[in-house]
Amino acid sequence: MPLPMYYFLAVTAIYILLSWSIYLPYRVMHLHFMSVANMTISGYLGAYAALSWGWPFMLVLVVGIVVGAFVGWITSFAIGDAPTFAVVIVGFTYIYISKTVVENTDALGGTLGLFNIPSIHSDPSTSKLLLLIIVYLFVILMGFLIHRFENSRLGRAASAIFVDHQLAKSFGINVKRTGMFLQTWSSAMGGASGVLYAYLMRNLFPDFFTFHLIGIAMTMLFVGGYATMWGGLLAAPLLWGGPLLFPPEIASWRIVIYGTILVVMLVLKPEGLITRPLVYRIESYFRRRRDRRIPS
Amino acid sequence: MEVFIAQVINGLSLGSVYVLLVTGFNLLLLVALIIHFSYPQVVVLSMYISWTVMNLTGNNIILGILAGILSSIILNMAMAPIFQRVMRNRGQVDINSTLVISMAIGMIVTDILSHGFNRGFPISFSETLAGNQSSLTIGLINISQGQVYTLVVGIIGVSAFFWLLYKTRSGRAFRAIAEDPSGAKQVGIPLLRTGLASYALTGLLGGVTAVLLAVLLGSASPGLGEQVAHKVLAVSIIAGLGNLAGGLVVGLGLGIMEALIQGYVAGSWSNAIAFIILLVVMLIKPRGVFGMKL
Repeated sequence: MPLPMYYFLAVTAIYILLSWSIYLPYRVMHLHFMSVANMTISGYLGAYAALSWGWPFMLVLVVGIVVGAFVGWITSFAIGDAPTFAVVIVGFTYIYISKTVVENTDALGGTLGLFNIPSIHSDPSTSKLLLLIIVYLFVILMGFLIHRFENSRLGRAASAIFVDHQLAKSFGINVKRTGMFLQTWSSAMGGASGVLYAYLMRNLFPDFFTFHLIGIAMTMLFVGGYATMWGGLLAAPLLWGGPLLFPPEIASWRIVIYGTILVVMLVLKPEGLITRPLVYRIESYFRRRRDRRIPS
Repeated sequence: MEVFIAQVINGLSLGSVYVLLVTGFNLLLLVALIIHFSYPQVVVLSMYISWTVMNLTGNNIILGILAGILSSIILNMAMAPIFQRVMRNRGQVDINSTLVISMAIGMIVTDILSHGFNRGFPISFSETLAGNQSSLTIGLINISQGQVYTLVVGIIGVSAFFWLLYKTRSGRAFRAIAEDPSGAKQVGIPLLRTGLASYALTGLLGGVTAVLLAVLLGSASPGLGEQVAHKVLAVSIIAGLGNLAGGLVVGLGLGIMEALIQGYVAGSWSNAIAFIILLVVMLIKPRGVFGMKL
């Protein structure tokens, strides 16, 4: 596989996971950026474990997910039902703290970063292909789980909280527990993204895990559509792949391009490209077609 | 003891800058109902504009200061239609969407600073503006001119703002809208004009802060706005969103705390410790210590 295609597919998968990890808590109006901090924590922890202790990939992935979920779960006791802006700032603070710790820890490569993270197979091209398959299987698994969640009782509870927090409470929905569940899930996905990113790139730099990464993931979520999981899935390849086709002089301004697209989108079409009514229309169209095929 | 006193003085200067920023941030929140997260990033953009004008005019301080203040007012006013349009689109006041749009503006500003000015390298203000010269030295205590200017102008700026808010007709209009927008409209307060005035006033405070930051720090980098934005939002949340008096106390407190940590802990770790303290307070009191005024 050509290298540019490998990087396009690899980074697209990470952005899909990242935008979903922001999408999930946003179902209860929480802009939960801790997934980026968890990406840093689990990514660096996993890379260190693989380099220093020789841990195998699968163990690193599982530990990364568990650590991410644990950090998110512990924090969610305090911010499970906090206002959006408090959740935002807690996420930012975690990002700054984790970045500062990484930058000041020599064992983690400091500001220079960690290099030569082991590949999962002795043959480099087989390793890349295997890794891509694992990453996309993970994306499919997460997509399936999110889809199941959306059509579940808990998903409907989250929708109710999104529309009216107080009304949802009065209907007996446990707002804090729903928030805690989604924040923990989001953090676990962040942890997984960190480990997968470390293995896909085989190096980690603290400067990658900053405000820019949040900005990109947020643009994907809000441009794609924050009300359904399909928004991130559509926007990630478009927004990440699009600037790769631009000449280098323009591509270097891609954060300005993302920011501008986000502002324009929020002003003109705040619900994003893929809205919930659109998804319902598409689903009912396919349902009608399927019903027509079944003989009465 | 001397280190402690020196760092407290440092902290008061830094804290007065935070207070100015938090005050502007809270004013927009109360009157225009927006969470302008990227407000400090716009302030840093004004610092860069001021630096550019000074470079072009042979370090003319007056023109540099004017450019910083005017650009801040213009930039803030220019953002008003975007925020108001976003809120109208959602059909109701949704301050969370204004937070997202402000973050998008912050992304644009930071990237423009990274590419469009000085090839992305940090900028240094000329010696004539940056107040590095020592004003007073007693033992270990060394107070620079920049610290004195920042503290004095900070106190005057915040006092003038509170005087305007509590002793003038315009201030009453601001407070009326903050308390009850529909009630304020019924008694004849022009919502749009007062809202726009809050953007202009915030721009003015931002411009003054930009100049003070240039005097105090003597330099700026594209990432400065992000860090300050994060601290300003943290101060506002810890104080209680929209709580002006709380912002004053917590802003000064953060400045002193940061300076003390820098005085006793290795520089590279001081930020992490300050952030951990902020995090702990936010986790214990996510709705603020002094209560929200929204």
